[in-house]
Amino acid sequence: MSQRDLVAELHAAQVPAPREVRERVRRIAAEDASRVRRPFPWRPALAVAVPVAAAVVAAVVIARPEHHTSATRTMPAIVHGASSAGTALRAQKALPAPFTPKRVETVAASISLRLPSISDGVRRAVAVATSLSGYAASIHASTHGKTGTADLTLKVPRSHAQAAIDRLSRLGTIVGERIDVTDRQASLNATDRQIARLQKQLARLRAEHASAKKVAALTARIQALQRSESSTRRTAHYATIAVHLSTPPAHARGAGHAWRDAAWAVAGAAVLALLLLAARAFRRRREDVLLSRP
Amino acid sequence: MTFAQAAEEHLDDVYGYLAWFTSDGLAAEELTAVTFERALRLWHRYDPNRGSARTWLCQVARTVALDHFRSERRRTRREQLAAPPEAVEFRFAEGLSPDLESALARLTAGEREVVALRILLDLDVGAASRILGISPTNCTTRLNRALKKLEEALHVAA
Repeated sequence: MSQRDLVAELHAAQVPAPREVRERVRRIAAEDASRVRRPFPWRPALAVAVPVAAAVVAAVVIARPEHHTSATRTMPAIVHGASSAGTALRAQKALPAPFTPKRVETVAASISLRLPSISDGVRRAVAVATSLSGYAASIHASTHGKTGTADLTLKVPRSHAQAAIDRLSRLGTIVGERIDVTDRQASLNATDRQIARLQKQLARLRAEHASAKKVAALTARIQALQRSESSTRRTAHYATIAVHLSTPPAHARGAGHAWRDAAWAVAGAAVLALLLLAARAFRRRREDVLLSRP
Repeated sequence: MTFAQAAEEHLDDVYGYLAWFTSDGLAAEELTAVTFERALRLWHRYDPNRGSARTWLCQVARTVALDHFRSERRRTRREQLAAPPEAVEFRFAEGLSPDLESALARLTAGEREVVALRILLDLDVGAASRILGISPTNCTTRLNRALKKLEEALHVAA
């Protein structure tokens, strides 16, 4: 039998559906199509939901370093030309610390810097403090990829505070700066006077042979005032400098990074497409295996 | 075209396709009913601009048949451990020679499927390849291979 005859014989074959099947299908078709519950379209819903979810995750991941930077402490009191958006400023000279060395003053300064490397910045800031006979009271640093922030509290002898601020300000671009100087000399003088007055009073009580209880109470009060005075002097010996370091925001990393990000996105899409193709080929292969038996 | 019209018009085609595809009359009857139940639920998706109702119904039938093949394979794997399945006698169509019937039975399901679509249902290569999810060239190759196998089987029988 030739192939043409074969095809003709096959073509002439009739395969009518049995009557029971026909009746059953008629009953199915007689159902009101509008009353048939439509299944939830999972595939289109997933086709929309998955890319949207991926975009949201990507946006969160990409925006996080920027958000972290924007959450850094701002310096509202004295900020050299800082815009309200907190954009990076050009390097400027540090503020002069207006303190008087011969008076007892507490000096608290804060400086906010933007620099390329957080770990390097932290290392150099601590080195500045230790080289001026100071120390780092606390260090908190966090990094996300190439972005990050750090908060340091440095204690530096008051006599070296100005030098420390000058050297710290050279570590990066000054974003904000603040110096608070509080004069403690007047209150110390008042305390001195009060102590002198109480000591005179104590001497008089002893001369009058007053009760031991009164003498002890007055002595304790004098000692408390003396302790408070020495504590104020100790505190005033060190200036507290809070240093906030941050890297430039992710969007300011330059066009090269944008191209690199775009290349990564394209590569990711290509990998996804390859995976989809592989899944399709795998499904086709399984289907072929399934249909390869008589 | 309403669903009832499409069902009435293409019932024989769908049944014939499923009967040749599965080579099992009882399974084909059941699968035909399942196909039309599913097609009724999905009828709102049918777009006449993208293809004929017959092609669309065959696509639905193919999905139903593949599900059947998968479940059958799992079932036979389990049952073969207990007892080998009995061969079921099936007649592909009235009027076919016994040799051709036997040659058709020796084809794989995939080969019978393409013969059913291209010759029994007389679908063009574009519609058949769309149902099979393969390229038109691949569809033609698959058909030629199936016909050659049939021809060889008939030659041996003669």
